[in-house]
Amino acid sequence: MNDAPYLTIVVTGRNDDFGGDFNGRFFRALRFNHAQLAAAGVSHEFVFAEWRPIDGRHYLATLLAREFSDLGASGLRSFVVDPLYHDALSLNPRLAYQEFIAKNVGIRRARGAFVLSTNTDIYFGRGIISRLAERALERGVLYRAARHDLKATIDTTRTDWDVLEDERNCEIVNAIRPPYFTNASGDFLLLDRESCHELRGFNEVYRSAKIHIDGNFCMKAYACGLTLVDIGGVVYHVGRGTLHAQVGLYRGRPGEAPWGDIRWRSDVVYNNPPEWGLGLAPELPLDAHTTFLPFEWNAVGPMVALKRVVLPAVQQGMG
Amino acid sequence: MKQTGTFGFVRVARYTEAVEYQKKAESRALRLEQQLETSREQSRGWKAKADQAHEALKQVQKTAAETRQKLERAEARAADLQVLQQRLAESERALTVAREQLMAIEVKLDILEGAANVLDARTRTVLMRRTATERGAPV
Repeated sequence: MNDAPYLTIVVTGRNDDFGGDFNGRFFRALRFNHAQLAAAGVSHEFVFAEWRPIDGRHYLATLLAREFSDLGASGLRSFVVDPLYHDALSLNPRLAYQEFIAKNVGIRRARGAFVLSTNTDIYFGRGIISRLAERALERGVLYRAARHDLKATIDTTRTDWDVLEDERNCEIVNAIRPPYFTNASGDFLLLDRESCHELRGFNEVYRSAKIHIDGNFCMKAYACGLTLVDIGGVVYHVGRGTLHAQVGLYRGRPGEAPWGDIRWRSDVVYNNPPEWGLGLAPELPLDAHTTFLPFEWNAVGPMVALKRVVLPAVQQGMG
Repeated sequence: MKQTGTFGFVRVARYTEAVEYQKKAESRALRLEQQLETSREQSRGWKAKADQAHEALKQVQKTAAETRQKLERAEARAADLQVLQQRLAESERALTVAREQLMAIEVKLDILEGAANVLDARTRTVLMRRTATERGAPV
């Protein structure tokens, strides 16, 4: 794997207009991030995991490949997951999208020396780009970045450093603190590929909620003895996000929220099976960029694996 | 010449000298008497002070004995406190472990509840289809 890039950026989504103008927001952020990384000489690939694609609509992976044909087959790889996997893995019918299992699909298949799990509408700050350009990231270190939420009213059709860094545009800073550095952690989790495999990705044992699964990963990394640090740069997001917009609707009935019950005990650490990230799923190439993962029961682990829930204080070791 | 009662006559000079000597002796006797009185006074004062000191010594000895008892009681309490602190630390550790185990159990129950609900829904779907087929209704 001599041509492996330094960085793999893993994101997930589908063609459902989630949050409004999903595809537009995704494409603009990806275009921006790719341009900045390329300008800084950071070799990279994007891995897009499309989970539970909507019947009768184009795959978002297809639209993405059209939009970014300049990236080439090695610069953009997409994995479209058969929607039957969602049904087979569901432990909560209210969850329409198993975001973190989708990201695991991408993380497992990443080729970069370092893997950045983030979201489709996240813009990398200047400090992030310069840290990546130094090529001085260390193994066994989980890098986190604070997210700055920009005002939803700003014009995103022409996003550049001036707009992102203008303090007048900043609405909220989602600060991160040791030891776990949670708080919007799903927007920036950067770790070397070997450690990603040793940790076996995000929690696939507890599938009743997707909220706090990102923070749960930070705790897992901490419990496994990894070092967690603030990378020093920030990432940007336009608006406060869909979760923030809807959280008030479910304050009195948290069990009915579409992201699962926010009260779940996410301090508990997990131990994913070796076939995490749909590792046993067959792969069917659709085109140069896109691979389809057809459904097979063999690729789906047991519905319940209680021994894979472990106490938080237990230092597990990895693997 | 002066006549004396016992020895008869002495010379005036000798007599004057004797009288002078007698006066000095009387004066000296008086001073000695005063000094003796002063010494007696001082002796009484020192005796009173000695009595006071003795009394104070007895008081201090009593206080020391009480303090020693208090110290022994305090040492005993400190030992008890140390034992209690150890027990408290052990209890806190046990509480932490119990909380973590409770947390893990809650998560496991969530998983079981989710799985039961999903399996229930799947079973109902199959059963409803089967019932509809048996009744000849379109599925």
